[in-house]
Amino acid sequence: MKTPAELFDPLRFLIIEIHKQLQSLEAFLETADKELAEKSLARVDYIDNFQITLLNRTAEYLLVECRKASDDDIQILTQSYQHLTHSLKELSRQLERIAYQALNMSGFKLLQKPALAKALDTLRTGLELIETAMLSETSQTAVDICRLQLRISKLCQQQLENYQERLKKGQQTQALLNASFIIKDINQLGDGLLRIGEAILSANLGQSIKLERYHSLEETLSALDLDPNAPQFSITSMAETKSGCTISGVSSNDPTDDELLAIFKEGQKQKLLDEKKGIESWNKKFPGIAPKVYSYHKSGNKAALLYEYLTGETFDKLIVNLDRKNLEAGLNQLFSLLLEIWEETQIKERHSANYMGQLKKRLKDVYRVHPDFDVRGFKIGDVERISLESLLSKAARLEKKFRPPKSVYIHGDFNVDNIIYDPLEKQISFIDLHRSEYSDYVQDLSVFMVSNYRMLNFDPNVRKLIALTMQGVYEFGERYAEQINDQSYHLRMALGLARSFLSSTRFVLDEEHAKAMHYRGRYLLEQLIKLNTKQHTTYRIPKEIFRE
Amino acid sequence: MAKKIKDFSHESLQDKEAIANYLKAVMKGFKKGEIVLSDDEDELTLTPETLAKLKIKAEQSKKSQSLSIKISWSSDTESSIDDTPLFIDANKTK
Repeated sequence: MKTPAELFDPLRFLIIEIHKQLQSLEAFLETADKELAEKSLARVDYIDNFQITLLNRTAEYLLVECRKASDDDIQILTQSYQHLTHSLKELSRQLERIAYQALNMSGFKLLQKPALAKALDTLRTGLELIETAMLSETSQTAVDICRLQLRISKLCQQQLENYQERLKKGQQTQALLNASFIIKDINQLGDGLLRIGEAILSANLGQSIKLERYHSLEETLSALDLDPNAPQFSITSMAETKSGCTISGVSSNDPTDDELLAIFKEGQKQKLLDEKKGIESWNKKFPGIAPKVYSYHKSGNKAALLYEYLTGETFDKLIVNLDRKNLEAGLNQLFSLLLEIWEETQIKERHSANYMGQLKKRLKDVYRVHPDFDVRGFKIGDVERISLESLLSKAARLEKKFRPPKSVYIHGDFNVDNIIYDPLEKQISFIDLHRSEYSDYVQDLSVFMVSNYRMLNFDPNVRKLIALTMQGVYEFGERYAEQINDQSYHLRMALGLARSFLSSTRFVLDEEHAKAMHYRGRYLLEQLIKLNTKQHTTYRIPKEIFRE
Repeated sequence: MAKKIKDFSHESLQDKEAIANYLKAVMKGFKKGEIVLSDDEDELTLTPETLAKLKIKAEQSKKSQSLSIKISWSSDTESSIDDTPLFIDANKTK
């Protein structure tokens, strides 16, 4: 990591002072000489001074440097210095507490144990490594510092068990309890070391990182014969998904080649495992439709996935850039691909999408974000407007009557930003494939349409393109429905749209826009339940609903 | 493109029958797709879309009662995007 003198120097002094504090404490525990404890405690004032100097200098540094260089790098670096400062101060505070408790303890011999001395010795090793780790070109030493936490924790656990055994015998209980508290404090010193190591790792990698995540990065990258410490490439964090995964782009540091090499996604094991399975099953059915998986690595309930970075634009970009030409080409490419997929994967089983059931499950989350939507029924004279819940039950009854004529393999999360179009290769690819299953083709279409509408962009030209896109998808689906003699297409589309309009407001904080979506969803359901049997085949969705 | 806001407002004392007449005029305008409002100086024509937002608000206090009905819709103008559909159904055009 970078070590500008104005920050690095006071940090070194801070480390030296904590080192002294620790040494005196160790000597005190060894000899029981109370003067040594006082000596240890006396370091605290110096440490406070260096801490304040460091905090001031980091603030100044941020102000001055931000004018010169890219904000991100400077911010990560200053954040790392802040983390280091705080963690070091926290270490010192714990040492202080240990000294106080030990001073006032009866049964001092309980503290003169090899495991305890080893734990403090390990901490000293950690402190001594900090400078090297900061100056090093690679992250190995930082990782070593992180790992010391485990050693300290093991030693403390061992000592604690020993105390517990003795506690059972009922002698010296007060002293044993005090000693146990001190062990807990020593254990926390290890956590401090872990945070220090992580702060150095974060500065090296240019993004905030936890050791756990660093390991998955290391493991996944080795599959590509890449080393996260190697200077030839860098990692930039790109997004956090709604499902709590983090996504980073791995790119080459070669200035002539600014292309991303791969995407690194990390999060809950089950989610990533589903995604990996989804990608594999799509690539098996349609080679090249999903990104290649380079590696998958799991550890505990976390996992990481490294996969191919696909070139091209997601559909929302094509719309926002008002790129009508490529949007049209992309949509038509997508339509022919869908026809091919539906043809290839169709099965006779008629899996209903259960739109109303899906919506019902999400209603609580919607109300949490928009409590105003949770309203009772309303009546003016003889005209009645029923509550959303009653509307849902009625629509659910209707839905039961209209199952799709067959099932196809669907994407399952067919949002605008999950479909990539490469105008040069004229190729469509799918990403985010963790919910693929056999279901109603109308589900993917309706999700795609509403994800267009959901975009938070109110430029009249963008809205126009959104309306045209939705209309285009609706008509494409209609054409397909005619081909396969699907008579309830329009009804299921209305149910699907209503479900997505109503449920995805939980991601929309703009109140006016959320209202527009909510009202559209309700409007569709209100229309549907008013239809008589004859009208079921003639019903069409008014295209005005696609406009803002 | 300059944004011009045109407005028209009117307030008076009316009996129940006259008020019902006003409401009927609005109703008629909705069915026709055109509501013309005018005074001595100017005229304003509203063209309701198929879908519009309806807000009904009623209030009752010791001193007064009120009912307000607000109907609003967005008019589709100001876009320079080509209107032709993005999906052309080969079977329908032939």
